Amino acid sequence: MMKPGKIAITGVGETPFLRKGEEHVMQMMTRASLAAIADAGLKPTDIDGYIINKYAGHPSEEIAHAIGAGQKRFSAVADSAGGTATTGDALRLAQLAIEAGLCKHVLVPYAIRSTKPGGVYAFHAREPQKAGLEMPAGFFGQPTYFASMANRYAHEYGMTEEEQAALPMTYRAWAAITPSAQRRDPMDLAAYRASPMISTPLRVADCCLTTDGGGAYVVSSVDYARHLPHPVVAVQGLGLGYNNYPHGVLFSQKPCTFEFPVRESAAMAYAMAGISPADLDLAQVYDGFTISALVQTEMLGLCDVGEAPRFYAAGHAMPGGKMPINTSGGHMSGGYVPGINLLIEAVRQLRGGEGARQVPDARLCAIAGLGGNNHSTTILARM
Amino acid sequence: MGIPNYPVHLEDPLFQGFYDGLDAGELRVTVDAETGEFQWYPPEVVPGRPDARLEWRAVSPLGHAYTFTTVVRSLLPGDHNDEVPYTVILFEPDDAPGVRIAGVLVDDDGVAPACGMRLKFRPVEVGDHKIAGFAPA
Repeated sequence: MMKPGKIAITGVGETPFLRKGEEHVMQMMTRASLAAIADAGLKPTDIDGYIINKYAGHPSEEIAHAIGAGQKRFSAVADSAGGTATTGDALRLAQLAIEAGLCKHVLVPYAIRSTKPGGVYAFHAREPQKAGLEMPAGFFGQPTYFASMANRYAHEYGMTEEEQAALPMTYRAWAAITPSAQRRDPMDLAAYRASPMISTPLRVADCCLTTDGGGAYVVSSVDYARHLPHPVVAVQGLGLGYNNYPHGVLFSQKPCTFEFPVRESAAMAYAMAGISPADLDLAQVYDGFTISALVQTEMLGLCDVGEAPRFYAAGHAMPGGKMPINTSGGHMSGGYVPGINLLIEAVRQLRGGEGARQVPDARLCAIAGLGGNNHSTTILARM
Repeated sequence: MGIPNYPVHLEDPLFQGFYDGLDAGELRVTVDAETGEFQWYPPEVVPGRPDARLEWRAVSPLGHAYTFTTVVRSLLPGDHNDEVPYTVILFEPDDAPGVRIAGVLVDDDGVAPACGMRLKFRPVEVGDHKIAGFAPA
């Protein structure tokens, strides 16, 4: 197990989150990276390490060149997907590199252009098993997969429409008080019900947004972070879980299709941090869809298994609730830059000073990052 | 209700046996020829047994819905929105627990789909190909 309190997130930055932007991925990554480096009080020439995301499609030398960096001493690629790559895998690799003395300041950039031709589902259409066996039957696309999980979950644990709606309404309530959020218009139950159905029981409101945007952060040693402008936000716990199911069978053949390896990642993270879920002040949960956020909320230990719909319906994750979740609107209302905007929000909350949405005296925040067949739990602490 | 009409892309012969089965009025899935264990979907490599040979076996036409969803907005490549709504079923045959076959709900006479509902396989012709259909049993 890695040691807690050794690395810190010293700088964060992002681009605007837009329904349809004009910039390409490299521009957005560069813009977000420069913002993160400046936020850390560093210069581009201070950056000597990179963790690259294989889905962003640009190697570290392109990033280094674009930001005007100094000599590169370390680079690695996060070999996972979604939030696991950006909020778990990247941090673990950064800690290994910094603790080994290979580099001092690691940049983790990411950007997504969801509106590119082919859209976000093109990746799945290339899976031979999906193309050969699922697509002819009309079983295709993330909302359809997750809708089938939601029906199974409701069969096993029960979930009314009002309870299901409570989760996107909660995240929208946070977005409404977040100036940078992509969707800030109020969402009550009537507005939720007016949202178009995609695949029963998931409406547009139950899905992450379509976003063109980028985010980045800088990782440094805690010792170095003490000399930088912001309060130190350290990685106190970090766990990764894997289930080894290839993507071709992931949404249909797992024994329980709505199980993700969250228990494994959470157990590792809590053990490393030496805390329990009750110690957390807030959480950021990867919300590709209502059902996946409900399940992760349970598996993180924020409520009992099978009770997440009631947990959200009771208002526990709302502003002023006992466990604030997705305090900048998450991916469903804040913006969908997989995982990375959740991590940025966690850092900002722990620094304090987020105005209307600031969670009082926030000191411990968990970030749950889902990546299909893998999952990360990261616990950040204000030191 | 509509029905999806998405052409079967079989660049990989790995899946041909499934469609041969539909033509013969059977649901066929793959098993490890030596151990007899189900290997579904047909993998390129059977875990731990790279030399293993797969063969196709007919399974029971009776089973139940593991889960389902009614697709209202098609996400299939191309424009397929005149084919919605349709209900996709992940069907588990009675004699192959844990094996799930994607197909569509047919002949439902207004019966609401549900997890666990009893179903019977019925192949459905769509355009120039067949897909698996499942009717309430």
